[in-house]
Amino acid sequence: MIPTAIRDYVRPASVEEAWTILTEPGKTVRVVGGGIDVHLFRVPDVTALVDLTALDLSYVRGEDGIAIGATTTFTEILESAPAADYLDGILLEVLEQVASPLQRNQGTIGGTLGSAHPWSDVIPLLLVLDAELTVFDGELRTTSLVQMLTDRASGVRPLITEVRLPAAPAGADCAFAAFTATGFDVAILNCAVYAELEGERCTAARVAVGGTPALATRLAGIEERLVGEALDEVSIERAADLAGEAIDARDDRRATAEYRRTLTRAGVARCLRRIAARGGEVR
Amino acid sequence: MTITLTINGTRRTVEIDPGERLLDLLRREGVMGVKIGCGTGDCGACAVLVNGRAVNSCLLYAAKADGAEVITVEGLEKDGALHPVQEAFLDEGGIQCGYCTPGMVISTVDLLSRNPNPSEAEIRQALSGNLCRCTGYVKQIRAVKRAAERMRGGGGDD
Repeated sequence: MIPTAIRDYVRPASVEEAWTILTEPGKTVRVVGGGIDVHLFRVPDVTALVDLTALDLSYVRGEDGIAIGATTTFTEILESAPAADYLDGILLEVLEQVASPLQRNQGTIGGTLGSAHPWSDVIPLLLVLDAELTVFDGELRTTSLVQMLTDRASGVRPLITEVRLPAAPAGADCAFAAFTATGFDVAILNCAVYAELEGERCTAARVAVGGTPALATRLAGIEERLVGEALDEVSIERAADLAGEAIDARDDRRATAEYRRTLTRAGVARCLRRIAARGGEVR
Repeated sequence: MTITLTINGTRRTVEIDPGERLLDLLRREGVMGVKIGCGTGDCGACAVLVNGRAVNSCLLYAAKADGAEVITVEGLEKDGALHPVQEAFLDEGGIQCGYCTPGMVISTVDLLSRNPNPSEAEIRQALSGNLCRCTGYVKQIRAVKRAAERMRGGGGDD
């Protein structure tokens, strides 16, 4: 057995109760969704765990977009009809590449967003899908994933209870690319692109790049440049080049900054070409 | 703390450490078919079914299994007869050194309970969290195909 300082494991019956335990002064408490990250990235001074199992937050609902409860596992999302139907199955395409089936049976959407690992494939995808969260920090409130990640960097960590993706309008499409050393490994770099097309013209665009090796962020400058453009080779190459320059690329033991810029150019171009090609088919 | 769970059909109330893994609880309870491998969710030697789904018991807090039904490789036999997946692993030589076998079998049982007729790609995907130290996957994949055929009633003895 691995020795830990954990003395309490609590399964609260309400979010209010969970929040009370999480914010108890003088205690270091962690939330258990599936529990993978809490276990793998052990913090020595954690004395209590709060297990959200009893909060009834395991569901996928396809109402005006898609709503996913925080404790829903990746497998439950993958096996749900609303996820299969959402934007031509982009959630399935990405989530079935996350970790292994064993881990997807355990890992939860709330857990992965709460951990916010820089290598996460889920975060860039949800960033471009404009994910909105319901969180609790004394009261239930709505925030965007972008805002939650910004707040998180300054130490604000509410309890995530639901993730929502808005209904995609006609002409919307999304593509994802990740570069890994092996199929099972986490990405050296990943990116996601969402676009709305009217004819050949792009009327809305969202681009996110992760694993730079910093946490994924949207690239607002590239998004603005894409709007109003026809998605042809010229605009795709230009957007990809700009993305390569825009990322917060750094060296780490897995790749150099320069390689990450190259991967960004390739990944963004690949996503945009896919969207352009499918846009043609739809028309 | 005290939890109650069902291990291979037997309901047990056990005293656990709040920070311990399901893997350690199961082995302490004498269920040694659950293997200790990497301890980081990479190898799958510790896979067990929790409420019908295969998970890494090295990554799961024992406390999270409170109230759950846990099935390990020991719990698959019925009335002294091996599960068809176990039989197929034997028949196809998929056991090899045996260390990864309990986890491979558990992942296969999960797969076939939801997909009785998987393609080879689906089998490979389903076993992608189970590493074989003998580095050979050909026989395990054949075993999964054979188990699927037999469980569908096709015999699979061609």
